[in-house]
Parts: sequence; structure tokens; C-alpha cells
Amino acid sequence: MSVQRPSIEVRNLVKRFGSFTALNGIDLDVYPGEVHALLGDNGAGKSTLIKALSGVHPPTSGEIKVDGEIVQFQSPREASDAGIGTVYQDLALNPLASVTRNFFLGREIKKGLGPFGLLQMKEMNAITIAEMKKIGIHISNPDQPVGTMSGGQRQTLAIARAIYFGAKILILDEPTSALGQKQQMEVLKTIRTVQKLGNIAIILITHNEIHAQLIADRFTFLSLGEVIGRGTAQELEGDEIKKLMAGGAELGNLKAELAA
Amino acid sequence: MSSDTLNPAKRNEADRHRQKNWFQTMLDRPEIGPLGVMLLLFGMLGYFSIPEGQFSLNPFSGEGFNALGIRNNFRVIAQLGIVALGAGMLIISGEFDLSVGSMIGFAGGCMAMILKWGFAVIIPYPSFADGFTIEGFRLFEIQNVSPLTAILITLCLTLSFGWFQGWFIVKSGISSFIVTLGGLFFLRGLTEVSYRAFNKKEDQTAGSTTVTDLPDIKNIIEVPGLGEMEREAAKSLPNNQLLEVLKTAPESTVAKLTEQLSYANEKVAATKTVLQESRMTQTLQRSLDNAIQSGNEAMQKMLQAKIDAGVQVPEVKAKAVTDFDLAKAYIDTLPTARPVAEFFGGDILKPLFDWLYYTADWNVNNFGNQFAPGLYACVMIWLIMAFFCYIVLSKTQAGNWIYSTGGNLSAARANGVPTNRVKISLFVFTAFCATMFAACQVFEVNTADTAKGNLKELEAIAAAVIGGVVLTGGFGTILGILLGTVIFGIAKEAFFYIPGVDGSFYRVFLGAVLVSAALTNENIRKRIIGSA
Ligand SMILES: Nc1ncnc2c1ncn2[C@@H]1O[C@H](COP(=O)(O)OP(=O)(O)OP(=O)(O)O)[C@@H](O)[C@H]1O
Ligand SMILES: [Mg+2]
Repeated sequence: MSVQRPSIEVRNLVKRFGSFTALNGIDLDVYPGEVHALLGDNGAGKSTLIKALSGVHPPTSGEIKVDGEIVQFQSPREASDAGIGTVYQDLALNPLASVTRNFFLGREIKKGLGPFGLLQMKEMNAITIAEMKKIGIHISNPDQPVGTMSGGQRQTLAIARAIYFGAKILILDEPTSALGQKQQMEVLKTIRTVQKLGNIAIILITHNEIHAQLIADRFTFLSLGEVIGRGTAQELEGDEIKKLMAGGAELGNLKAELAA
Repeated sequence: MSSDTLNPAKRNEADRHRQKNWFQTMLDRPEIGPLGVMLLLFGMLGYFSIPEGQFSLNPFSGEGFNALGIRNNFRVIAQLGIVALGAGMLIISGEFDLSVGSMIGFAGGCMAMILKWGFAVIIPYPSFADGFTIEGFRLFEIQNVSPLTAILITLCLTLSFGWFQGWFIVKSGISSFIVTLGGLFFLRGLTEVSYRAFNKKEDQTAGSTTVTDLPDIKNIIEVPGLGEMEREAAKSLPNNQLLEVLKTAPESTVAKLTEQLSYANEKVAATKTVLQESRMTQTLQRSLDNAIQSGNEAMQKMLQAKIDAGVQVPEVKAKAVTDFDLAKAYIDTLPTARPVAEFFGGDILKPLFDWLYYTADWNVNNFGNQFAPGLYACVMIWLIMAFFCYIVLSKTQAGNWIYSTGGNLSAARANGVPTNRVKISLFVFTAFCATMFAACQVFEVNTADTAKGNLKELEAIAAAVIGGVVLTGGFGTILGILLGTVIFGIAKEAFFYIPGVDGSFYRVFLGAVLVSAALTNENIRKRIIGSA
């Protein structure tokens, strides 16, 4: 499985905001068909890293390769054209608009004159229903506003959208954080479905080590903008993961402090 | 597993949505509230405007919805409607434009002054030849500017200003409220300054703040054999010339005009007869009242008998149709030589309104003449623009971009929507709407002044909100904006006719409707985004 070339390789990536170093030389390899968990405490730099990968913030220095080729994204559009589909924490959905309108937001199917081309609603509705079904959600009414969908369904919509528009690398920023138990499981199942497609590399950011352990094939731990540990699911044991997620601080120490 | 556990797999997400029939679906539409208010106002205007003592179930029998009432009310509605479309779309994208009213004044002044004085591009330069003065270099100059050119020059100025406001707002990140409030003062001031600077003859010191004595451009016609002149001037030509003009009329036209004129003359005569009858009856009644007061019983009896027998007045004879009448009527049918001015300031649906008079016997005033010639052209312009806005907003990619820009700006951006371009385009569009408003006004009344368009920006926003547009953006429809416009435009008239109610209550009413509409809109929005 891992003799393949990585879908995305990051080498020595640095990102500074003024005098503040958010990322200080990150290396990362993500392989197709794998879920790669990116873990770390609040403020570790996880969101900043994926923003650099998805063209939101150009990195200060360092190298990003997609399918072996060096890329430099100037905009989210360029990143998504190169096959990097990002599902943000806020999902980038318009809650007031319908499922279909969100699914095709920015890439509408239309006939005629540039932005004044007529939307092909029927075709777009059909595709939306079919694509959602592929990763396990049945929607009865594609005109339903996204705001009325459950959190899990919204995640699925955002994931389905990224995949349909050609994402080979799918980045999920805390997809389960705002959800109830049942919906969390729904989203994990969706991720599993995507993993099984085999050709998509998934970067999963989460604070939940149970979810990470359930689903991830490989782990990278960040703390204060640096990688403090990495390994496959087999190489890492439960306590090790917990410890690294908290930024390397001994959990035992914490227990002692709380007891005092 | 206990025996009474249901099998959860059988129920899927789709089942959780209540199946609605068409009626429930309709009730869920956000336009249903405004529709109700509009119908209420229509009813009020229709029935309260029926004169006292007269009973009718027909709402078209009162002043509110007689032909002239329809003509005038729809003019008010359409003018507001033109700017409300721009304001509404802009609000849906999450921004405001408070400069619309001043833009109307600016555009109207521009057009009227260009039409009156011509247009020149003058480059100022300092001169030291004779002390220090500022001289102007005339780059080029056009006299006798056509209506189309005047509109196009004005559009260049207003659209650039709209573009600049939009560009400044998206680049600086300053709220559009403040930037366009600046625009409101700036443009109104610039308008006043321009009137004083340019609306004058060379030798006058300060210009006037109104443009008057423009010709009635839309009614300039080509009179056969006599060249271009205003319709009214042509109709008051000396008799011999009128006859010359009539000679050029095709026979079929003359025949038809003769028929129409005799119909109208008979109608006028019949109306006069009825009028004289009722006058006579009134006079008798008054004498009777006097007789009762003075106790003259013989007189009372005699008058009562006369009234009971019914008054007989000689029928008024219909005027004969003269050749001069025919010539004037023919001049009325001559097409305009300035179609652009006619397009903005003329009348539409003339054949329909003729039919309503000659055939349906409805469009008749108190003297028996035709009441309204048609609807104002601004109604057509409003509806054309509304149609295009509807298509763009709900059927095109641009529409999806507008909704998402207002609904969730960062989401739209993350999905590659050019949100800045969307917003700037809509600022340009509101400037376009203001210019269309001004063009309609200028070519209708052939005057302009510095105060034109005052408060229209706020009325437009109010109309959009009453129609279901949410101020924070992302939500609203063109149909709703149309309904809100009709409500706002008709309320004044509707309250005017309520007996015993001060006419100014319409403002109280609109204020209350505005706030309850905003509340309803917000609740619908919260219900959708699930944060009630
Ligand atoms: N645009 C920015 N300008 C300045 N500093 C920033 C910016 N974005 C992020 N940072 C800083 O960079 C650091 C890393 O932030 P980041 O959002 O990547 O953390 P995170 O690992 O995603 O945390 P969380 O788990 O809370 O989401 C934080 O200290 C944050 O304040
Ligand atoms: Mg984060």
C-alpha cells in the first residue's frame, strides 16, 4: 500500500504572520487511499497548515508537491483545480440556499452567456442526489435549504462536493467537532466510504483521539508549529497518541496536578 | 433486543420531511405576507374611493381604480419599483446603497442640462497672462444633444460613480452604509453646484436650480410639409395649415378618426344631457326645500308634482365633426420623431386604453371624454427590468453568486465566487436603476431640479424589506420586492380615501408594516439556518 508515491508531499514548510511563526518547517506525506490524521493542541497550527495547502495563505517558504510536481497556489481556486478539496471547519456552505445550489456553488452548470448563463437546475439536482447517495446520504428534496440539514448531512454534502469536483486530496478540518454522537458516526462512515474508493488521500484534523484511532492509517502530531511525532496506526499505542496530542506534556503530570 | 423496538433502518432521513401539498407549500413562501397586505390595500383603495352615498361591489368604480387612478398610482409604484429592484438585489448581496436618491437628482440634472445647453469637455488650466486665472480648453463640444446621447453621457458618469463606490467599499472594507452615506451628501452637493455653475447663459452669474422650458421632446413630431415641431404647436397651427396637414392623411385614417370623434362628441353630448337633468332636479329640490321652510303649501305641491313627473331637458345635440377637429386628431396620431424620449417619458398601452373608451365604455371622465390615454412608460421599464432581474437572480449563475455573496461571504469566496466583482456590479446596477428613474422623470415632465429623488434610497430599502428581503443578505426574491413596492407605492393613496382618517396615517401604517416585515423575515431566516 505504501510503496506508492504520496499524493501530496510537504517539505520544510514555514508560515509566518508578521513576527509570529505559525508553522516552523513542517514535513508531511499523504498517500492515496489513506486517512492521515493531523493532531495537535489548540493553536498548534493545524488549520494554518491546511490553509497553506489549500491556497488560502501562501506559505512563507518551503515546498509543496502534488503528485510529484511542485505547486505554488495563489488562490483556493488554483488549489482546487490541482485536486485539493478542502472542507473547512465552517464548511463553506450558504445555509440559506438549497442543497443543489450549494453543491454547485461557484461551479454551476449553465448554458449561455458567462455568468448570465441559465442554470441547468434539473441536471444539477439529479447529480446532487446521486453524488450524495454514493457516500451514503439520501436526500429527498434538493431544494431544501442547507440550514435545515443536520450537521452530519452538511459535512457529507461538503465532502461529496469536493469529491465530485475532482478532489484527489481531501482535507477535513475537524469534521466531527460540532456534532452529536450519532452524526459523528455518520461522518466517520462517510470518511470510511471515501477511503475505500482507494484513490483519494484524506487529511483529517481532529481533537478526538478515539475517532483518529478508529479511522486513521497514519498520524502526524503538531505542537507550536512543529512536528513532534509521526507514525502508522500499528506503530503508535493508545497512550502515546494521547500524550502527543496534548503537545507532548505528560498526562501523568496533569493527573498529579489535578489531584493536588 | 426487546420485542417492541421498532426497526430503525426502515425510516430514512427523507421520511422526516412532512409531505406538503401545494397549498401548504404556498403558505410557506415568504411572499405570502406581503401579498396579503397588498390585497388589503387594493381593497381599501378600491372601496373607500367610491363616492359617499354610492354603493358598488365593483372596486373599479371609485377614483382609486378608475382609468386615471390606475395611470397615476402605477406611475408612483413603477418609479419606486425601478430603484427598489437595484436596492433589493444589492441588499441580497449583503450591501446597501444610500446614494440612490442623490444619484437620481444628479442624473436628472445631468440629462436635463445636457439637453438644454449641450455638452462640452473642458480641460481647465492655469493662466498667468493676465494675473492668475483658470482658463478652460474646449476639447470638444456638442450642441443639440439627442435624448439617447444625453442618457448615454449621463450613464457614463453615474455608472462610473457606482463602480467607484463599490470598488472603494470592497477594497477598503469600510461598511457600505458609511461610504454611500458619503455618496448621498457628495452627489447632492455636486448636483447643486453643477446647477449653479452650468445651468445659465454665458452672461448670467449664477445658474438656476431648476431646468425649465425644455421642449416636450417626446412629443416632437414630423408634420408633413412643415418639418419637426411639438405636437401642441402643430395643433394650434392656423386653420389653413391644419387643412393642408389633413390632406396628407390616408383616407382610412380619416374615416376611423371621423368615427372616433363622432363617438366622442355623442358621448360628451349625452353626458351633458344627464348632467343638465340632474342640475335641474337639484334646482327643483332646492326650491322645494325653500318652500317647505317658508310654509308656502301651494308652491310645495306644485314643485313636488314637477319632481315626481321627472324633469325633461332637451337632449344636447352632439357637436359636428369639423375638418379642424380631424386635423388635430390626425396630428395626435403622428408618431414621435424622438423615440428614445417617448420610450422613457411617453405613454404605453394606448390601444388598450382607446379600446376601453371607444368599445368597453369604461375609460370615461365626468365630461364624457376619454379619461386616461394610457399608462406611463416607466411602468413598462419597471416591468422589463423586473423580468430581467428575476431571470438573473433565480435562474442564472450570477444569481447564485449574488445569493451566496450575501448568505455566506467566506463560503462564496472559498468556492471561487468572485464576490468583489458581484458586489461592484450590483453597485453599478443601482446607479443604473437611479439613472433609469431619472430618465423617466425628465422625459415625462421635461423639467429637473436639484431636489429630485430625495429620500428615494430609504423608500427603496423599505420596499425591499417589506417584500421579504433580509437586511443581512442572502435572502429575498424579485417577486417579493415587487409586492413590497406596490404596498409602499399604494399605501398613501389607500389611506387618503378612508373617511374620517387623517391621510398621514399611511406613514404610521408603513412604519408598522416595515418593522413587522423585518421581524417576520428575520424569523424565517432563523428558522432556516436553525438558530431560532
Ligand atoms: N491570519 C492569522 N494572522 C495571525 N495569526 C494567525 C492567523 N491565523 C492563525 N494564526 C495564529 O497561528 C496559530 C495557529 O493557529 P491555527 O488556527 O492553525 O491553530 P489550530 O491548530 O487549527 O487550532 P485549533 O485546534 O484551535 O483549531 C495560532 O496562534 C493563531 O493565533
Ligand atoms: Mg483549527
